[in-house]
Amino acid sequence: MIRRRNVVAALSAAAIAALLLAGCTSATDSGPDAAAGDRPDWCGPTEITMGLTDGFGGNNWRLVTTASAQDEIAKCSSVTELLYADGQGDTTKAISDINAMVAKGVKALVVFPDAGPAILPALRDAYAAGVVTVPYRVDAGGVAGEDFNLWVGGDFVTDGKNWGEWTKANFPDGANILFLSGPAGNSQGVDERTGFESVLGDGTGIYKYIGEQPFEVTNWDAALTQKVLTAAIAKYDQIDVIMSDFGPVMVSSLGEFTKSGRSIPALATSDGNILGCFYEDNVDANADFKLMTVATGNDHVRLAVQHAVALATGGVVPTATSFAGPVFEDSTSTDKPVQCNRDIDPWTFLSAQLSGEDQQALLGQ
Amino acid sequence: MAQRSAVALSKGPRFQVSKGLLTVLVSTVVLFILSAVLAPTSVAPGPLGSMIPFAAILAIVGLGQMLVIQQAGIDLSVPGSVSLAAVIVSALPEMEDSRLVPAVIVALVAAVAIGLFNGFLIGFLKLNPIIATLGTNSLLFGFVMLITKGIPRMTTDLLLTVVSGSTVGIPNSVFIATAVLLTVIFVLRKTVPGRRFESIGASAPVAMMSGLRIKTHQAMAYVWAQVLYSIAGIMIAGVISEPNGSMGSAYLLPSVAVVVLGGTSLLGGRGLPTATVVAAVFLSQLDQFVLALGVNFAVRTLVQAAALAIGVAIYTVDWSRVRSFLRKFLSTTRRGEHQTSLPTA
Repeated sequence: MIRRRNVVAALSAAAIAALLLAGCTSATDSGPDAAAGDRPDWCGPTEITMGLTDGFGGNNWRLVTTASAQDEIAKCSSVTELLYADGQGDTTKAISDINAMVAKGVKALVVFPDAGPAILPALRDAYAAGVVTVPYRVDAGGVAGEDFNLWVGGDFVTDGKNWGEWTKANFPDGANILFLSGPAGNSQGVDERTGFESVLGDGTGIYKYIGEQPFEVTNWDAALTQKVLTAAIAKYDQIDVIMSDFGPVMVSSLGEFTKSGRSIPALATSDGNILGCFYEDNVDANADFKLMTVATGNDHVRLAVQHAVALATGGVVPTATSFAGPVFEDSTSTDKPVQCNRDIDPWTFLSAQLSGEDQQALLGQ
Repeated sequence: MAQRSAVALSKGPRFQVSKGLLTVLVSTVVLFILSAVLAPTSVAPGPLGSMIPFAAILAIVGLGQMLVIQQAGIDLSVPGSVSLAAVIVSALPEMEDSRLVPAVIVALVAAVAIGLFNGFLIGFLKLNPIIATLGTNSLLFGFVMLITKGIPRMTTDLLLTVVSGSTVGIPNSVFIATAVLLTVIFVLRKTVPGRRFESIGASAPVAMMSGLRIKTHQAMAYVWAQVLYSIAGIMIAGVISEPNGSMGSAYLLPSVAVVVLGGTSLLGGRGLPTATVVAAVFLSQLDQFVLALGVNFAVRTLVQAAALAIGVAIYTVDWSRVRSFLRKFLSTTRRGEHQTSLPTA
C-alpha cells in the first residue's frame, strides 16, 4: 500500500515536472514566404537558415514585433528557414535557446537579449562559432567584432529629445514634469532622461522634474502606475506634463485626474491604439489634455534583421546602426493627428509597419 | 479552592482580542498617524480612495493564504490563480455586460478545480506544498497565456462599476472584503466543519485521534483558498480596466506577509482572519506612505521588507528570553563598571 502510494506520488511529481518542462520548450519553426523577384538590396544570394530568439515573447508588443521580423525576413528568398524561440522570461532558457540555434546550424541569429549582460557569453559563443550574431534593443554589453557582429540599439535618447522639444514648444514658460519609466535603473529610462535633459535642462531652470528621480518606477505595470500616479496627483498641485515610455499602460490610471477634479495634463509618450482612442474620448472634457507620441518601436527588429541577413547572405549592409522612433502623433499639429482605429484591437500599435488588420489577425480577434 | 476552580473554569470575556489583532491594529493606527504627520498627502482622499481597493484585494488573497497556512501548508499558486481569474472575467465577456456573470461562474469553477487539484496532490498524495503549488502556478500561467496571448483585454463596464464604484460614500470593494471576512469568520467559528478545520490546524495528531478526516480538511483548505484568490482576481479586473496576465504576481509575498503580520503561525494553528485583513490595510497604507514620502524605489522595498521582518520577529522571537538575557548582560556590565571604579591598592 505504502509502495503504491509512493509510486503515485512519484508519478504525480514527475507529471508536474514534465508540465513545467513542457511549458519551457516551445521553439517553433516557420518558413518564410519570400517573393524571389523583388528582393531588397540587403538580401544577398547565399542561402541561409536563420534564427530569432526572444528573452520574453509573451505580450502583444512582442507578438507584433516577432511578426514584424517574420514579415521582413519573408522579403528575402535567400532565407530558406526561420527558427524562433521564446525564452519566456527565463534567462537560462534564453541562453540555451541561443546555444540550440547554433547547434541547429543557423547562419544568422537575431537576439532580443532581455536579460542583458547575462546573455553575453552565449552571444560570444555563437559569434565564435561563425554565426552572424546581431543583438538588438537591449544592451548586453560586450564589443562589436569580438562578442557579436553588431548591436542594433534603440535610440532612446532621441525619443527623450523629441519629448523635450515638444514640451519646450508647448510650455515655453516652463513646466512641472513627471517622468514614468519601467524597472528601477533600466537603461531605456536613463537614456530618455538624458535626451529630454539635453533640451530642457537639469531641472534647476524653468522646467522642474517632480517625483522620484531619475524617474518614477512603474515596472510598466498598470497597478503600480495607478498607485504612483495617485500619489503624485495628491502630492503635486501642478503637473503640466507626464512623460512615459509606455503610453498604453497609463490609460487605466489617467482617470485619477478626473476623480481629483483636475484636467488630464499633456502626455509625451509612446503610441498605442488604446491611447489614441482614450485621447479622442477625453480631450473635450479635459482642457489641458494634449498628446504627443513617438513610435513604440515594433519595427526596430526590421533593422536588426536586415543587418543579420545582409552579413550572412552577402547583401548590402544598411548604414543605420540604431533605430530612432519617429514622432508618430502630435495633437497640437495638423501633420500628425492622433490616431484611433476602433475596428481593431485596442492593444495594437498603429505606428508599426505591420498593418492594423494584420496585427488584428495576429492577436486572434 | 472552590473559588480558584471557578476562576479556572470561567469562559473569559465574550470578545477576546488576540495578540495578533491587537498588535496589527495598534501598528496600523500608529502608521496612519505617522502618515498624517509626515506625509499628509498619503491620507488625502485621492490616495486613500486608490489604496482601499488594493487593500481589499490583498485582504481577500490573504484570507485565502491564511486558510492554507493554518493547516501548516503554503500556497505558491497565488499569482497564477489571481491572474487566471482576472483574465477569465476580462477576456470571456468581450466587453459585453451580459456575459459577465457566466465568466464569473467560469472563474469560480476553475478555482474549485484548481483547489481540488492542489488539495489532492498535497492532502492525499502528501506532496510538498511548496513544490506542488509552484508546479500548479506554472500550469496556471500556461492557461493565462493560452487565453490572453499576453494581450490585456478591456473589462466590462458592469464589473468596473461594481468593484470600483461606491455606495453611500464607501468603496464597494470594502463591502466585498467585509462580506468575505464575515463569511470566513462565520464558517470557521460557527459551523461544525469550520471548527473541525480549526482544530485540525491547531493539532492534527489530536484531531486524528478524535476521528476527524484530516486529509479532507487539509485538501479543502486549498479549495477555499482558490475560491478567495479567484474573487480577488475578479476584483482586480474591476479596478484595473485592462488587467494583463501577470497582475497576480504582485500578491505572492504580500499574501504570506499579511498572514504573518496578522499573527497566524507559519507552522499552522489558529487562523486570525480579522487580524489578517487589518494587516492588509497596514501593508497597503505602508506602500502608499513610502510612495508619498517620495523616497526612491529601493528604500520603499527595504521599508516593506523591514515591516515584514519586524512582524515575524514580534510573534516568533522569545521576548522573555531576550529580556532575561539583556537583564543579565546589563547587570554584568554594571558589575564590571563597579569593579573598575574601585580604588587600586
